[in-house]
Amino acid sequence: MPSEPAPSTNESTFLLSALRENIRLDGRALDAYRPISLTFGSEYGTADVRLGKTRVLAKIACEVTTPYPDRKFDGIFTINTELSPLGSPAFEVGRQDTTELLLSRVLEKTIRRSGALDTESLCIVAGQKCFHLKATLHVLDHDGNLVDASCLALVAALLHFRRQDIEVKGEDVTIFDVREREPIRLTIQHRPFCVSFSYYHNGEVMVQDATLLEEQCRQGEVVVSMNRFGEVAQIAKYGGAPVDGLSVLSCTTAALERVKGFDRMVTEALKADEARRDEGGLMAELSAENERPTGSMLVGSEN
Amino acid sequence: MPLDSSSYSIAQLSTQAAADGSSYLEMGLTKIICTVHGPRESPTRSGSSSQSPGAHIETSISIAGFSGTDRKRHGRNDKRTQEMQHTISSAFSSTLFTHLYPHSTITISLHVLSQDGSLLAACLNAATLALVDAGVPMSDYVVACTTGSTASYAGDGEEADPLLDLNGLEEQELPFLTVGTSGGEDKVNVLIMETRVQVGRLEAMISVGLDGCRQIRGMLDRVVREHGERVLEARVA
Amino acid sequence: MPISVLPPAPAPAPFANKPQYGHSLDDDFEDEDEMDIDSLPTGHQRTSQTILTPGQLVTQDPQWMRGHGTFPLEDRNSVTGIHSTLAGTLQKTNKLLSIIPLRARYTPEIGELVIGRIVEVQSRRWKVDVAAPLLANLLLSSINLPGGILRKRTSVDELNIRSYFSEGELLVAEVQQLFHDGSASLHTRSLKYGKLRNGYFLSVSGMGGGSGVVRAKRQIFTIQTRRGGEVDCILGVNGYIWLAKHVAEKEGVGMNKLEEAAAADTGMYSSQNDEIGAETRGEIGRVGGCIRALVEGGVKVEEGTVKRAYEASLEVDEVDGEEDYLGAERGRTVVEMVLSGRG
Repeated sequence: MPSEPAPSTNESTFLLSALRENIRLDGRALDAYRPISLTFGSEYGTADVRLGKTRVLAKIACEVTTPYPDRKFDGIFTINTELSPLGSPAFEVGRQDTTELLLSRVLEKTIRRSGALDTESLCIVAGQKCFHLKATLHVLDHDGNLVDASCLALVAALLHFRRQDIEVKGEDVTIFDVREREPIRLTIQHRPFCVSFSYYHNGEVMVQDATLLEEQCRQGEVVVSMNRFGEVAQIAKYGGAPVDGLSVLSCTTAALERVKGFDRMVTEALKADEARRDEGGLMAELSAENERPTGSMLVGSEN
Repeated sequence: MPLDSSSYSIAQLSTQAAADGSSYLEMGLTKIICTVHGPRESPTRSGSSSQSPGAHIETSISIAGFSGTDRKRHGRNDKRTQEMQHTISSAFSSTLFTHLYPHSTITISLHVLSQDGSLLAACLNAATLALVDAGVPMSDYVVACTTGSTASYAGDGEEADPLLDLNGLEEQELPFLTVGTSGGEDKVNVLIMETRVQVGRLEAMISVGLDGCRQIRGMLDRVVREHGERVLEARVA
Repeated sequence: MPISVLPPAPAPAPFANKPQYGHSLDDDFEDEDEMDIDSLPTGHQRTSQTILTPGQLVTQDPQWMRGHGTFPLEDRNSVTGIHSTLAGTLQKTNKLLSIIPLRARYTPEIGELVIGRIVEVQSRRWKVDVAAPLLANLLLSSINLPGGILRKRTSVDELNIRSYFSEGELLVAEVQQLFHDGSASLHTRSLKYGKLRNGYFLSVSGMGGGSGVVRAKRQIFTIQTRRGGEVDCILGVNGYIWLAKHVAEKEGVGMNKLEEAAAADTGMYSSQNDEIGAETRGEIGRVGGCIRALVEGGVKVEEGTVKRAYEASLEVDEVDGEEDYLGAERGRTVVEMVLSGRG
């Protein structure tokens, strides 16, 4: 396994002693993020997140399949993470390493297990046909904090995505092409975001949005996923140096603030994207015939 | 405090003669055998492990097909299992004095015979016992337990009662988290939560968890002492 | 072969929620704080009879030095106490406090006699398994080459390295040196050491404070058996044991004679076993059975106990009639006789 070479002793000592005085190498505050940019592709369901030098692309695709026999009323939603050598030379094709494992598990728990996506709305005919929503994450550049960037990209892509409209008449199902009917949004029940904290000096120094170098020098991390209503979707602290119980709680408070910021940012970006697509203001006439009122209401209410 | 549930635990040390250290742990109906091999020369000569200044900790969890209510084959490549393996390895690498054994490997094998909730917590506790038995130096026990919250996430009630040491059924219904401590009373080593819960409830859950860990630590300590006394007795008698 | 069926051991009683155990942590800490270290006799063989467990405070008294199995814990007010990292007993050597684990892997120390097994042959060295965390090294330059101890090591020897020791072979050696990472370097530059043959290998737990082999005055000794002549016992400190037919030792081996002896002993690196009589084999088996019974009974394995156990096994045979098998009930009887003989 060609793992990333460990940073030199000089680098790590410098970084750690700077952190002891609450100074980060790039001059950020301990709880500051690098500049975030969120852009959507021309196609629905493509989100590109840049977090400093880290860059993640999320793409949602959708196809019709048969549902799992034990979950007849649910559609299928899978998250696939692609950590290719494109992102970092440490990643190998076809070989899963710990970074990828943990990333996919955190996303799974944050978005799938917390019920962010209403999978029941993906069902077409119970037990026979459903949509299979495939989310794929491509790490294009890895400079630390993949988890937060990936989660942000994935949630944004899900909010941006529109699936083809369908019509069910008895046994017959018609799937309308995008050109025939305006595709409809997914039903997103809440928007969870991940915030990861790296800690140093036995938990005395907590840092948000660590760069790759900072990640390599850290003693451990805590990943908190929550939505802006203060519902925690998951917390993960896999070992590492022990920290105070209280400092974990303070992480959740800090995460809440951050998540609210993320939520606002995604909403604004979506609005801007919509405005861009809605040239000439003809969008309102193109609404889907059976558009779910809940979906639009939810999005409306969160704006 | 609703904390009597630790009373039905059974733990033993040195159950497997061939291993360097071993243990058997029951927490309710969750039953685990753990064996520790090493520290020993790394079986595969990979360049990465010899770079590291300390021993490398490998964990493997095998979940028996008959361990759950319905018979299921658990592949080793199951991501949940892999995540647990990673958690256990990394929890111990900060607690064990791995720097005393450079270039070597410590293998923790966990065999889940029966599962009924608190699986990760039971695995951590069993591994601690086996590592103590193997005589691997550590700064403190790693002990873990689960805590849940009675009401589901719909309510935001602060009055929700925290539960300690959940069984399988409770884990399916209630939001819960696994908390593991080491090195002093309130030092959290592992904290894993996978279910949605209001942020306000976390504090109560974690504090109950820490309290439970303290009790489990006392229990494990007693097991180790009793085992030690038996060994000494046999040696002197 | 007779088979004894062991009665099932009763399942351990479930832990009752004893009232004190919620507070046991704090209480223990206080008790141990007052643990009387001063009265503990110093020395290798004597340890305290109280068990210390990982994380437990041993002492806060700054007069003591911390040895193996302990670590300093920095408190917030930077009072450093000595804490235990192992489950074991306390040993005091003058001002040095160390914890002897109940059980642990063998850690090599200079001068110890070990039995090892070759696992790998490299260009100028062997890698030897000595049950330690890392494989030990045996350099080509630290073995006696046939043809005299002072013979120069040549490149031919390097090519013929497998003719001295090859994979899987057993040898007895001494720890010559320890490396920085704790691995050992061995040597066999004495006629006592070298390749092992004509015997029987046995592995018990080693010097980890466990019940296996302990460091003693003599690790190599000979038992005069009743019927099979003399049996050599080599008790490796690492828990590996070799029992073999006795080979006559050359008396008064001096430096010069050593050389001659080595030269004469062409069979030094032979892997061919000699013919061993059935009686000797039987006696070797009996000694092996005795050692196994000792280990099972939690008694340390050393010259005295092995010899007494051998005698005891003969007595048991006289009482119960002869049997080859020395396990279970018979084993326990032997162990009891050994212990009572000592007391």
